[in-house]
Amino acid sequence: MNRLTKKLSKIKSNDKKALVGYLVAGDPDIETTVELMKLFSSSGVDIIEIGVPFTDPIAEGPIIQKAHDRALKKDISLVSIFQMIEKYREFDDVTPLVLMGYLNTFIYHKKLIENNQNNAVDSILVVDIPGELKLEDYGVKSNNINTISLISPTTKKDRVKLIAENSTGFVYYVTLRGVTGSSNLNIDEIKINIEEIKRHASVPTLAGFGIKSIEDAKLLADCSDGIIIGSSLVQMIEQGSEKKEFDRIGKYITEIKKAIS
Amino acid sequence: MESNNNLPDKNGFFGEYGGKFVPETLMYALEELENTYNKLKDNNEFKKQFYKDLSEFVGRPSPLYFAERLTKHYGSGSIWLKREDLNHTGAHKINNTIGQILLAKYMGKKRIIAETGAGQHGVATATVAARLGLECHIYMGAEDVQRQSLNVYRIKLLGAQVHSVDSGSATLKDALNEALRDWVTNVDDTYYIIGSVTGPHPYPMIVRDFNSVVGEELIEQSKESFNTMPDAIVACVGGGSNAMGAFYPFININQTRLIGVEAAGNGLQTGEHAAPLNDGSPGVLHGALSYLMQDEAGQVKATKSVSAGLDYPGVGPEHSWLKDSGRAEYVAVDDDEALEAFHQVSELEGIIPALETAHAFAYLETLMKEFDDQSNIIVNVSGRGDKDINTVAEIDGIKI
Ligand SMILES: Cc1ncc(COP(=O)(O)O)c(C=O)c1O
Repeated sequence: MNRLTKKLSKIKSNDKKALVGYLVAGDPDIETTVELMKLFSSSGVDIIEIGVPFTDPIAEGPIIQKAHDRALKKDISLVSIFQMIEKYREFDDVTPLVLMGYLNTFIYHKKLIENNQNNAVDSILVVDIPGELKLEDYGVKSNNINTISLISPTTKKDRVKLIAENSTGFVYYVTLRGVTGSSNLNIDEIKINIEEIKRHASVPTLAGFGIKSIEDAKLLADCSDGIIIGSSLVQMIEQGSEKKEFDRIGKYITEIKKAIS
Repeated sequence: MESNNNLPDKNGFFGEYGGKFVPETLMYALEELENTYNKLKDNNEFKKQFYKDLSEFVGRPSPLYFAERLTKHYGSGSIWLKREDLNHTGAHKINNTIGQILLAKYMGKKRIIAETGAGQHGVATATVAARLGLECHIYMGAEDVQRQSLNVYRIKLLGAQVHSVDSGSATLKDALNEALRDWVTNVDDTYYIIGSVTGPHPYPMIVRDFNSVVGEELIEQSKESFNTMPDAIVACVGGGSNAMGAFYPFININQTRLIGVEAAGNGLQTGEHAAPLNDGSPGVLHGALSYLMQDEAGQVKATKSVSAGLDYPGVGPEHSWLKDSGRAEYVAVDDDEALEAFHQVSELEGIIPALETAHAFAYLETLMKEFDDQSNIIVNVSGRGDKDINTVAEIDGIKI
């Protein structure tokens, strides 16, 4: 069984909430990303979302944009990312790994994805494809990889149903109108919308995009099956990169994990 | 605003090109825009207002002018100029903004945003926003802010705010990224006036339709001026809006060759250019699948052109379709050729063209050899060159 599906159903049956941590592959370099992934999972991250750098990441705020730029300077592509994941899998063969990125890079590397050597990758999230479309129609598919679609506060009801039914990994509820790293969470709206999604989805619904504080994390975990944290982690990675000091990140993850448990 | 083929299809595709590849938050906004446009485009009141504004505010129709000395210079067919440079604000860009601001008004949007490269679309947007008293924000790459400083000041004079974009290559594509991010954030009260036939559906269709007034006028003016349809229409292609507006009404008129001229920058063979139709491959950028300049990892390549308005790695999806179907031809001229044409047209015709437009003129050097005396060739003069004076002076080593 796919690691992501297995993990999410275990979390659910234990009545717990999933914690997803995001970082950009190759920021600041591939070796450090592998170390950070180990730190993520040992501190309490259940699922790791790996950002695939792209020159034009239109859904990202400044923090993650800069991380994409740093990685691109190191010539990171899906080829090096698959190699990186292979290395990581020598240490950890249980944590689900999700690739998150933009359609163009995935189309370009569809062969790599189709091969998915040793089933190292578990899921793909493409930011710029309408959620009711199937990635396989663009040649992006693999037997053991499922897909994650986004639903936002502006998604209309008829499409919520189509997208929810089309998501095979989990549904990613974008908690605000904005790019990654923004603020302004409207908890009431979020609750209503996630309830609506859950009526249609056979997979769990996780929430992400504007989560910064422990308080945000708690509120959102209460009304979803789990949360995704991106910009806060990427910012700490940026700040710690020079001296390779990442202790804060482990502590932060542990705290969040405790708050949502 | 007539329909000459049934494209795009209901999902926004021209053959395999186009579509709506955007973050989910924008899907509803695009649907809302499409519904509004479909409701209004055949509405008589709306059409009346659009053509009234084009006539009284823009000064349409723009003339079709016989370029006597240029014609003599080449010594073959007759060269005619479609004078979009005479429009209010100095380029074809205003045709589109006049139409889109009416959509924004109808939709009750309070805030207008746009991206701009050469600054012409920024000026055209700030102009129509000022006219309706709407808040207006223009995104412009930091490099373009510098090389098109005159237009930056014009935009500010018109009461709009200019946001200089530092990310990526700091040119048009990055300005578009930033405008999309603004739209994702402020989607409820903001209307995004995209400046070319690019971006997600329904923009390529809407921008084409509003610019098609150029081609529609050309059909009438050709009959009046030379009693038949032209043998060729030549237009520069950045995103492709001036070309698409001129080409579209001619798609079923087979005697007219449609020729788009891209920017070859330092030369096609150097790879340093902005000519995706000549030297690119299909890919997804800014919401559409179209020809794109990309590397072997699917990353978008940096572009190079002396002309800010052509300095873009993508192109409107309908041009990709016209290329593959063979109905239009796409060629490229480099910076040096464009600069030479810039001077030549200024001296021979008393018209200083925009650097973008100079690319279309430069191709006459090759094209006119293919025609005889009886032929009629139209160049779409997409804009005037006032904005480029500083750039050209600097290249010529002159301090103003
Ligand atoms: C005068 C002029 N011509 C052409 C262009 C290129 O745009 P398009 O290809 O959409 O006509 C621009 C863009 O800024 C322009 O200002």
